[in-house]
Order: sequence, then structure tokens, then C-alpha cells
Amino acid sequence: MKKGLLLIIFIFCLPLTGYGQYSYFEHRYEYKLNDVLDAAKFVQKENYWEGYSDGKLRGYVFLSDKWAKKLVGYSGKHMETLIGMDTNGIITGVKLIFHSEPIVLIGLKENSYQDFLKQYPGNNIQKEMSVGKEISMDAITGATVTAIVQNAIIFESAKKVAAQTGITKSVHKTGQKISETYTPMNWKELLSSGAVKNVRIMSRDLGLEQDDIYLDLYFGVINPPSIGKNVLGETAYTETMKGLKKGETAIFVVSRGSGSFKGSGFARGGIFDRFNIEQEARLNVFRDTDYRILTSISPNGSPDIKEGGIFTVTVDDFDPVNPFTFNVMLRYRVGSEKEFRSYSTEYRIPEKFLE
Amino acid sequence: MSDKKTNKLNRRTFLKIAGAAGLVTGAGVMMPKDILSARPEKGGNGKLNFEVAPGQLDDYYGFWSGGHSGEVRIVGVPSMREIHRIPVFNTDVGSGWGITNESKKLLRGKAAGDTHHVHGSYVDGTYDGKWLFVNDKLNNRVARIRIDYMETDAIVDVPNIQGAHGLFPQRYPKTEWVVVNSEFQTPVPNDESNAKNFNNPQEYYGMHTIIDAERMAVVCQVMVDENCDLAATDYKGKYSMCTSYNSEKGVTISEMLAADFDYLIVYNWERIKKALAAGKYKTINGAKVLDGRKGHSDLTLRIPVPKNPHGVNISPDGRYAVCCGKVSPTVTVVELSRLDDAFAGKIKPEDCIVAQPYIGLGPLHTTFDGRGNAITSVFIDSTNVKWNIDKAIQAEKEGEEAKKKNPHIVDVLDIHYQVGHIMATMAETKEADGQWLVSLNKISKDRYINVGPLKPENDQLSDITGEKLRHVHDSPTYIEPHDCIMVRRDIIEPKVKHRVEMFDHPLAVTKSGVERKGKDVTIKMTANAPLFGLQEVKLKKGDKVTLIVTNHDEIVDLSNGVAISNYNINFVIGPYQTKSVTFTADKPGVFWIYCTNFCHALHLEMRMRLIVEV
Repeated sequence: MKKGLLLIIFIFCLPLTGYGQYSYFEHRYEYKLNDVLDAAKFVQKENYWEGYSDGKLRGYVFLSDKWAKKLVGYSGKHMETLIGMDTNGIITGVKLIFHSEPIVLIGLKENSYQDFLKQYPGNNIQKEMSVGKEISMDAITGATVTAIVQNAIIFESAKKVAAQTGITKSVHKTGQKISETYTPMNWKELLSSGAVKNVRIMSRDLGLEQDDIYLDLYFGVINPPSIGKNVLGETAYTETMKGLKKGETAIFVVSRGSGSFKGSGFARGGIFDRFNIEQEARLNVFRDTDYRILTSISPNGSPDIKEGGIFTVTVDDFDPVNPFTFNVMLRYRVGSEKEFRSYSTEYRIPEKFLE
Repeated sequence: MSDKKTNKLNRRTFLKIAGAAGLVTGAGVMMPKDILSARPEKGGNGKLNFEVAPGQLDDYYGFWSGGHSGEVRIVGVPSMREIHRIPVFNTDVGSGWGITNESKKLLRGKAAGDTHHVHGSYVDGTYDGKWLFVNDKLNNRVARIRIDYMETDAIVDVPNIQGAHGLFPQRYPKTEWVVVNSEFQTPVPNDESNAKNFNNPQEYYGMHTIIDAERMAVVCQVMVDENCDLAATDYKGKYSMCTSYNSEKGVTISEMLAADFDYLIVYNWERIKKALAAGKYKTINGAKVLDGRKGHSDLTLRIPVPKNPHGVNISPDGRYAVCCGKVSPTVTVVELSRLDDAFAGKIKPEDCIVAQPYIGLGPLHTTFDGRGNAITSVFIDSTNVKWNIDKAIQAEKEGEEAKKKNPHIVDVLDIHYQVGHIMATMAETKEADGQWLVSLNKISKDRYINVGPLKPENDQLSDITGEKLRHVHDSPTYIEPHDCIMVRRDIIEPKVKHRVEMFDHPLAVTKSGVERKGKDVTIKMTANAPLFGLQEVKLKKGDKVTLIVTNHDEIVDLSNGVAISNYNINFVIGPYQTKSVTFTADKPGVFWIYCTNFCHALHLEMRMRLIVEV
């Protein structure tokens, strides 16, 4: 190294005004373990704490970034959450530690986020809780991505801790594999076999005036050749499979109707806020980087589609052989009223495409 | 893939999916049995649907040169929507090309250019989707564009030439060489050391320059007496070619038009390689110059072509080179399999010609439908002429009487007006698919609402799946595309990617801050909508400032602009991209740095102060 370089004076300044701007977008809160679990003493384990009172184990406290850091909100950042859970899997407390969700932009107050989280204590994580059903979005109406991802963060973290501490058994693997054999099938056969599932929502089901189909949506797992190759055609199937890393799963979603499953909000946030999939309470939210546009599908008898996409599942330990739930969450207007409705559909790769 | 199979190819098979990176597409495009088609089309019926509805995507990537705008444009075909512009030899105040240090390093002080021919890199006779190459006739350069980011990544200055015009990449086995021609003969070298020849046109020469595609460096130059106009390469990796319209060494129009015949000059690559290995060259301005002059060299073959010929295009089956006569109303069809014998002296150069059919007044360029037909642009007549190559050859064999009936002409389409280049989809590859034809017309006259004295050019789109050419769409273009290629979407789309590696740029900023060394100040800054990594920077008048900015947003399509008020600086950074500028802080005051590229609901608030103290 040249001598001269040593003389360079480094003045790294992050002026206070700069910090001020950052703090406007980044909210960090102090916390104590007692905030989420009532216990006299806490014992640190590898990625969680055990809480004791009267010499008895009362439950667990954990930080979400140790368990579910991949789940990121609208801001592209993880919402760090402190979670308490008793020895039966009942949530005892939830506290937000850090987030930079731009909820102020949609006219919400910072407090409303904390209010949203007040719904969780008392719920058992072994039961299903999804946003729009068990969990109300009222406190943060409009912040769909924030709500869905926050819910997933709590669940994924708690599920993993529950499995590790023996509250629940870990995810069972069927040991089955996707069959590599290919059988030509038309659209009707794909639907009747369950390889492709349909979600059909009529406008009048949503209370809308018009008498048409709001969303006629079809989805399925692409990996089995008898599904993927038939739906996408040989070239697109081969290309899609080449783009997947080992063990990765891709699904296709196509739709027609007056509504849209993609929406247009993903453009800025990068996150698709109108649909996701869940497997054993693990939520996979799709991002723009997991997505390729799909403009038509191949099988004989399939409908003309209005929009479509191929989406790569990125959540840890997703097993395409196990059942999963496809959730559609619709925000829409009836007159001047904002409404929110969610729909869930079970999916399982038909037995005949497994071995 | 055989041409027959290609022709049957239904575009729906390759147009389904789009987007993400890292996928390699096979050359073979397979066709599923059951096809759903939103825009129904049956090959050969002349009823292609050219409408691309909102939300639907185009079937072809069109790469258009930008003429003396110096850029390259991406046009969706068949919608003819201009989708993107790639700045190359120009200054682009929008993206900051010509303003940033990164672009200046490639432009080396020359931010004006004249792009004519843009061509893709090849593997085995078809596009591999890796690179585009484009010439600069103004400042005699060749640029390379990396298709994954659609950005210019290398520019090579070509010495000893002027009028860098025809450009073509090697087609087989893959693009290792790119050839570029010099249309204007000049003294060689063209500097004070050769001042005695400045006014001696007999000592002016043309050059056929070979460039290494990977290194983007000149391999060698073959010097000839003639000028070197349009370029082509064969499908076997053996020959490159140029047309020459000034074999007379004229310096005035009448001198250039003097001879009734000029040439198609063929360059023998095997012999060029041997001559290089044997050291048979002179190094002039750093380039190895080989002698390709008539009577001095066995590297070149001159096939006489009437008169002041212009374009040379190779048929997709690799069999024929078609030279357009320009001042002659004919085209000259050369059978490439005869070139070996001609180089060996077994036959005369003119014996390589198998047909010379009449086309019309002012034939300029030829393209192909992959079904044995050629379509030639005819400037003076203002037509696109479709003709059958085999029928032209047959008539030539039968003699003058047969030729007079013009049995080769299939259809003549009037265009509006005065066509230059002409190109069909995939026509410069062995996978020519005969779907769409673009006629790049030089004059639009009354085709658009009147915009004053400087009117746009007029690109006309025709469906060529039927026997007749069916004109379906006009689109205006600003100054001034010359040529284009149209590449199937499945070839390009899987190669195009979102920037995933921030440290592609060695100066990528991860932590914002200011470094000062005397009067040299480096401002390192992140941008993450709606915030720059700094809220203010204090400078002293006279500081020499380098500003480096990295966009930390990883959301697809979330670019930021960085503009410095009153300092004449603006550039755009895409997600994970870094750019830098260097300027002198010569004006004291407060100068807002603000985001120019709409990024966020708080885009307008995305700004910071640059305080230049007295």
C-alpha cells in the first residue's frame, strides 16, 4: 500500500438530521422479556429463553428474527417481534421490537400497529389463525401485507419453537416423492383429478352490483410433469424447472374475470398482497423476484386467461407432497365502502402423480 | 432445426412465459399438441393478429439502431411499441449516459455517434441472447451491449478507418469475431506522417476490420483499394463479405458512379488466420494491417456486381449471398458453395453468380421468410418486392426470354415512403420464421399529423405468412433507425435479469459517508427510496468532488435518479446499481440533490442539501 493512502482522513458523518429521517421510517422499541411472559426468572437457551416461576417452567420467550427472518414486510425488512408462549402453545404476549412498515403513508398511527398485535395473546398456535378470519385486520385496515406477514412471523416463529421444545411434533414427512412420469391430460382431466384447483368468486358474492365472475382462478403445483408440462407446454415447463434450485417448488396461478389476483400494489412493495400459500401454518408470501409472467396456458379446453404467473415457493421446508392452503385475500369497494374478504382452498398433489 | 420445422413453429409455444433470470433456453423450440391462442394465427394464411392487448406481451424483441441519435432501441413486435432505449455512443440526460464516470470511461470523450447496424451474437447460426454489437459510423467505433442488463459494456475504437458502416458477427460455430467495414477510403495512416497523400485519392484505402467479440479488441484489418460498405458473414465460419460501391476510388459522386461494375468482396478467414500466424502484416496505429488489395493478395475474392451495390444478405439456408444493385435494378445471387473453387482459381469469381433477376428501381437490402422467398427493399420505386430465389435461378438457367417474364416475382407492396433497410423476424438466422416484416422507410411525408419540417421516419409492419405481403401497421420513429433485427422472445427473455450482484461495481456503497483528502472529496451514498443515505454534505468552494451512489432497493423496477441542482448533473440507478460522477464545487450556495426517477409516495421528499461554503 502506498504511504500516501495512510494520510487519508476519514470523516464518516451520519449527521443527526440524517438519523432523524431514518428514525421516521424505522421504529425500534425497548423490551423486557417480562413484557410477553409472566415469569420470575429467565434462562437463556440457544435461540429462546425459558421462563420460570416458583421453580416451574411457565413458558418460552423468543425473538422472531432468530426463526423467521426471511419473512419481510412491505418495507422489504423483517418486523422483529418478541413473542411469549406457555408450555401448551398458548401465546402469552406479543411485542413489536422493530419495524419500518410505511403505515403512516396510508394514514395509520404507529399505535394502531401495536393494537393489531393485542389480538394474539390467549390463542393457541396449534389452531389455525389467519388474517381476515381469526385475526381481524380492523386495526390496520389497508396494510394488508404488513398484517399478513406479521401474522406469519408470529406463527412461523412460534411453530418452530413449539416443535423444538416438544409442545408439538415436528412436521411429518410423508416420504413420498413426485413421480417423473408424464401422462398427457386435457384441462377437464387436470381439474377433475385435483391437479388444478379452481377458486370462483362471483361479483354478487362480494355484494357488488354487477352480475359477472369477479375472479375465476386456477392454480396448481408445476413440478409433476403431468401437471406442469400439460399446463405450460413442454418448453415453458422445461425452462421453469431449469430455473428452480434443487428441492424448490413452483406453482402457477392464472385467472380471468373482472377482478385481479395479482393486483397492482406489488409494483412498489414487491409483494403480492392478494394471495399466498400456507403449509402447517407456515406462510409463503410471494415477491416480485419469485415471479415470472404467464400469458397463456396450453391444455385443450382451458380458458383464455386474463392474467397469470409462475411463482417460486421460498419458505423453508415447504414440502410439495404435503397439503397446503391457497389463500385469496380481496380488498375491494362496494360503493364508497372498503371491504376485505378472504378465501382458502386446500391443495394436494393427486396421489397418482406421486410415488 | 430444419427450416421446415421452424416454419411450422407456432409462436404461442415460445411466448408463454417471461421474466426471471438465469434460465437457459434450448435452441429447439418444441410445440405442444394443444395450443391455446389468444391471438389466433395459422402459419401461411396471411392473417396474423397484430394486436397486443393491454397486459399481453409482444412476441419478438426488436433491436433497432438509432442512427445519428447514437443509441439502440428495443421495440416490441408486433405491437411496435418502443419499450426501451439503450444509450450507446450518445449523451442521454435521462439515464446519465455520458454524464457518469462509468459511461465516460467507455465513451472516452466522444458522446456523439451514428449507429446503423445492430446484430446479435450467435451460436450455431442463431442468436444466443448474450450480446448485441453496433457500429458508430461517426467516430468509428464498435460497441457491445450485454443483453442480460441491456447495457453497453464495451466500446472499441477502430483505428485507420472512417465511415465504420457494415457490421456483422460471426455466425458459426459461435461469435468469436465481428467484422466492421469502412465506407470511406482514407490515407493509411491518416495523420501527419502520411501528409503527402492527403490529396492523393489513389492512396486512400478501405478496411475490413475484424474484432474479437470477447475482448472487444481489433484482431486485424484487411486493407483494400475499394470502399467497404455493407457486411455479411456466412453460416459456416469461413467467409465474411462486403459490398463496395466505390471501386473507382472516387472522391466525387460522378467519380464514384463511373464504373458499371463494382464488387462483392469475399474475405477468406482461414487464409487471414494463416497470414496473421505468418506475420504477414504491418502494424499501423496498433492494428495488424493485412494487404487485401487486388493483385497483391490471396485473402480476398472480388465478384463483379452491377452497379454501386448496397446490401448483402445471406439466405437462412446458408446457400446464397444476395447483393442489391442500388443503381442497377437487379440483385445478384451468389452461390456460396462455389467460393472455395473460386478462391482456388478453379472457376472465375463471376462464375459464383447464379442469378441476376430484375427487382425494381433502387434495390437496397434483402430479407428472407425462411420458405425460399426473399423480400427486397426498393428505394426509388418505394416498394417491398417478394421474390422466389429458386425461380430466379431457374429463369437464369433458361435464359433471357424466361427472365423477361419475371417468374420470380411473387408480390410487390407499395410502402410509404422510400424504404431503406428491410428485415423479417429471425431472418438473419437459420431459424428465419417468416412471420413479420418491417420496412424501415426514410420518409413519412403525410403519414402522421404534421409536426413541422422535421418529420419522423416511418416503420411499416407487414404480415408475411401469406403469399401476399399484408401491410398492417405504421409506427413513427425519431432520428433515425437504419436497420433492425427481430428476435424471438424465448431467446432473449430468459437471459434478461434483475441486477442481483451489487458488487459487480467495485465502488458499491454499503455505508454512507464523506471522505476528504485535501480538496478531493468523495461522497459515498446509498439510495433507498425515499431516502438518500445522507441528509446534507458540506463542501468548500473549489473542492473536487466524486459522488458515488448505490441503490439499495431490491424491489424490481425501483430506480432512483440523482440530480444536483444547478450543477448540470443527473443519472439514474436501478436496484443494486452503482454510478458515480466527478465535478468541481465551483458555485457556493445551497444546492438540493433530489431524486428524479419517481420512486415512492415520498419521492418529492427524497432530497438532501449540498452546502458549498465560501
